[in-house]
Amino acid sequence: MRFVKSRRVAWTTLLAVTLGAALAACGGGGSDAGQELSKEPVTLRFTWWGSDARHKRTQQVIELFQKKYPNITVKGEFKEWNGYWDSLATTVAANDAPDIIQMDELYIASYAERGALLDLGTAKKHLETNDFDPAALQTGQIDGKQYAIPVGLSSYSMVVNEDLLKEYGVAMPDDNTWTWQDLKAAGAQVSKASGGKVTGVQSWGFNDAGGLNIWARQAGASLYDDKGNVSIPPSVLANYWTYLADLAKEGIAPPPSVTIERASAGLDQSGTATNTSAFATWWNTQLTSLTAASGKKLKLLKLPGEAQAKSPGAYYKPSMYWSVSSRSKHPAEAALFVNYLANSEEAANVLLTDRGVPANKKIRTAIAGQLKETDKAAAGYLDAIKVGPAPRVTPKGASGIEAILKRHTEQVLFGRLTPDAAAASFIKELQSEIDAAK
Amino acid sequence: MSALGEMRRLGSSAQKGKKDNKAAFFFLLPWFAGLLFITVGPVAASLVLGFTEYNLIQPPEFNGVDNFTRMLDDTRLHHALGVTFKYVAVSVPLQLACALGLALLLDKGLRGLAFYRSAFYLPSLLGSSVAIAVLWRQIFGAEGLINQVLAFAGIQGRGWISDPDTALSTLIVLNVWTFGAPMIIFLAGLRQIPEMYYEAAATDGAGRWTQFWRITLPLLSPIIFFNLVLQIIHAFQSFTQAFVVSGGTGGPSDSTLFYTLYLYQRGFNNFDMGYASALAWLLLVIIAAFTAINFWAAKHWVFYDD
Amino acid sequence: MTKLLRHVGLLLLALLMLYPVLWMVVSSLRPNNEIFRRPGLVLDNLQTQNYGEGWNALASPFGHYMVNSSIVVLGCIVGNLVSCSMAAYAFARLDFTGKRLWFAIMLGTIMLPIHVIIVPQYILFSQLDWINTFLPLIVPKVLATDAFFIFLMVQFIRGLPRELDEAARIDGCGHARIFLRIVLPLMMPALATTAIFTFIWTWNDFFSQLIYLTDPEMYTVPVALRSFVDSTVETSWGSMFAMSVVSLAPIILAFLLGQRYLIKGIATTGIK
Repeated sequence: MRFVKSRRVAWTTLLAVTLGAALAACGGGGSDAGQELSKEPVTLRFTWWGSDARHKRTQQVIELFQKKYPNITVKGEFKEWNGYWDSLATTVAANDAPDIIQMDELYIASYAERGALLDLGTAKKHLETNDFDPAALQTGQIDGKQYAIPVGLSSYSMVVNEDLLKEYGVAMPDDNTWTWQDLKAAGAQVSKASGGKVTGVQSWGFNDAGGLNIWARQAGASLYDDKGNVSIPPSVLANYWTYLADLAKEGIAPPPSVTIERASAGLDQSGTATNTSAFATWWNTQLTSLTAASGKKLKLLKLPGEAQAKSPGAYYKPSMYWSVSSRSKHPAEAALFVNYLANSEEAANVLLTDRGVPANKKIRTAIAGQLKETDKAAAGYLDAIKVGPAPRVTPKGASGIEAILKRHTEQVLFGRLTPDAAAASFIKELQSEIDAAK
Repeated sequence: MSALGEMRRLGSSAQKGKKDNKAAFFFLLPWFAGLLFITVGPVAASLVLGFTEYNLIQPPEFNGVDNFTRMLDDTRLHHALGVTFKYVAVSVPLQLACALGLALLLDKGLRGLAFYRSAFYLPSLLGSSVAIAVLWRQIFGAEGLINQVLAFAGIQGRGWISDPDTALSTLIVLNVWTFGAPMIIFLAGLRQIPEMYYEAAATDGAGRWTQFWRITLPLLSPIIFFNLVLQIIHAFQSFTQAFVVSGGTGGPSDSTLFYTLYLYQRGFNNFDMGYASALAWLLLVIIAAFTAINFWAAKHWVFYDD
Repeated sequence: MTKLLRHVGLLLLALLMLYPVLWMVVSSLRPNNEIFRRPGLVLDNLQTQNYGEGWNALASPFGHYMVNSSIVVLGCIVGNLVSCSMAAYAFARLDFTGKRLWFAIMLGTIMLPIHVIIVPQYILFSQLDWINTFLPLIVPKVLATDAFFIFLMVQFIRGLPRELDEAARIDGCGHARIFLRIVLPLMMPALATTAIFTFIWTWNDFFSQLIYLTDPEMYTVPVALRSFVDSTVETSWGSMFAMSVVSLAPIILAFLLGQRYLIKGIATTGIK
């Protein structure tokens, strides 16, 4: 019976230790980001998500940096997308977060507003941002504080397969004037001419909120208002889904189950990559990957409806950001490393456009000569389009928007919800997530 | 039959009433240590967190039974419960039937036994690998194997995985497909039945069916029971396959939203770990109830030799 | 005749079971851009470069991750075999205070989903400074936290005829000797099952290895395999499949070796 008693003691101690540690996790950070760099050996942890190609390039840049600053060791930790966020949340909860964190627009507010990210404004001494477009920098700010530096820029675009259009004798639409109806018409011609083997358009609305943002902006609305509440009018949302549902109904897009299957399978199995859809929406920076996968001639078109829109739908979206943990023990050195990633030509020559067309204007010009044809087209696209100010970053609590959007789109396409009912349900659910996180 | 009955009586003549606390403590020492140092703390913490609002980044805030009252109005939770119950009810019996059937078939001296056993076990080896999602689309996708076969017969197929009407069924098939683990356990159990029982029964003139009903089934019953209990627990916690196949969403349109998948989404995607912890404890209560019923029912059909 | 029919049936079933695996092997021998454009198993353009590229695609050669996985797997197997069989003997054969309660607690420990345990557990292990070592993966097994195997072995031991240990006890054997000399050898099939399953499940376990191993030097096979996939860009599917095939080899081998011991139960050793 002796062990029973000692067990109770240890039980309570352990509980206290565990929870105590959880509570301690909220404690303040290490030293000041504005201080001088340490001469002592410093080890930084740097984490990112991506595929094997990115891991290689990033590792090379780390080595270049270490050569330049021999007392700083950078440990790279790479993960795939889903695992990345699970791992990040866990390490942050345990006060064990990596120093430099690759961040996504979806999660910035969730981490920054809860105090997990360092205000990089305090690290100005080591981190230069002069070569960045102020509009781009602004996408990394919350309440006036710079929590993240944009890495690359991208913009939503319509990718068209020129070879397929030629094959089926469909004229290339004029993307300076075209409307959403024109897209439908061109798509219908492709579907008809191919006998259904190739569909005109690949439906969207499953993997990101880009298409929805654009649709709202063209209608003069926005997905969120400045305060971070859902502000898209139900009628605009319903129109969006009506349009997508019509594409499928009229055979311009594949049947819903095929669409959904492709959407969840990733880029390589999409209609564009397998040459089974002529038009599809993508981020402009994905052109290189798409071209490699499809082997055909793909071209970036401006989005339909821009000429008639109440305000420009297009905007620059940072592909990802650099941010620093607020609990980093070496904020100054971490800022220095971010500075190297963001401003050094040496690093840019290795990274090129792997993380998108660089948001740093000077760097963008510097590497322009080394880009592949498709990357040049992607960079050129950014200059060619007329953009409005970027929408507000995804509010804290709304990081699950993509899943909510995907589910509602699926329900509309499968006829389980009318566009109107889906609009009401979507707005209610998203808003309640935001309210719950307040 | 008489020989068997005698053996049973022999088996039940174990001494009763003497405690072996000292020996038990020694044998259970590693387990006690694990319970104390590894299991208790986190489990207790998750229970406490169930009564808090905890976003993983800021310290948890006590909010009483809010998480539990919230469950009453959570329609996605109710939906997830429905999906999970359906999954458990269909996939567990199917998988166990396949596993037991093949184990019996493979237990007999058949040529190429090792090959079949390995072939049937191979799919279970793939388990949760990322490749599974891709492979599954190769079979059940819109252009997959099934539809190609159907096309031969002139039948228009569909995207089985991405159609909300059939998505759950494909996951059930996926689970049945990996019947290797219970099959191996059944095989191991069959190997443990002493040959002499069969010999004795044969001497008594019992036929094959009688042998199966009177020897194999009762003597295998502890193992059948084990597989049943564990597969039910396992099915309630089913996560990886749905996660991998649906890309973590439980789609299309929540048709494969398993309980643990929903719990995971709340905890990690929505930074709602307090609620997720409460959900975990609800699941524990549900599973425990099923397990208790199982143990209660076991008295009537499981045969132990002690 | 019935025998032949049975073989044909089994073969067909085996083929059906194996189709996806075969597809994976075939895909690993195709150029990346052909993988999703042609269904079926016909291979007209065999190329092995995916294997070379996949092997060297990540920070370390893929063999490095296989070695890491092997260390973890080995530790877990030894841990599970020793600690679970001991606990199982106690639950199956000994009578002690609160046995039913302890047994219920033991089963209860596998009923909570890992996702809510992982954060407090991570905090616990990081207090011990165990993050980025294999300890959070192995030590729990050494301490018998895998209730699945305890329960499995309990069921097997309870299936063993009691008269064997009764006889040994009358001969004056203590529990340690009964356990080592009689019960352990007789439960070989259960031990083999435990070893095989521990191998396979640990080799495939993604989530806890992802969480506890942060330094790529320490990555194991499942964590490394997922690093190939990014749904927003082009994924090197060929490399991924090639390395999936490579990483399957050890578990198939382990299974083939382990399953031999499945035969060595009472059935063949024959007791009188």
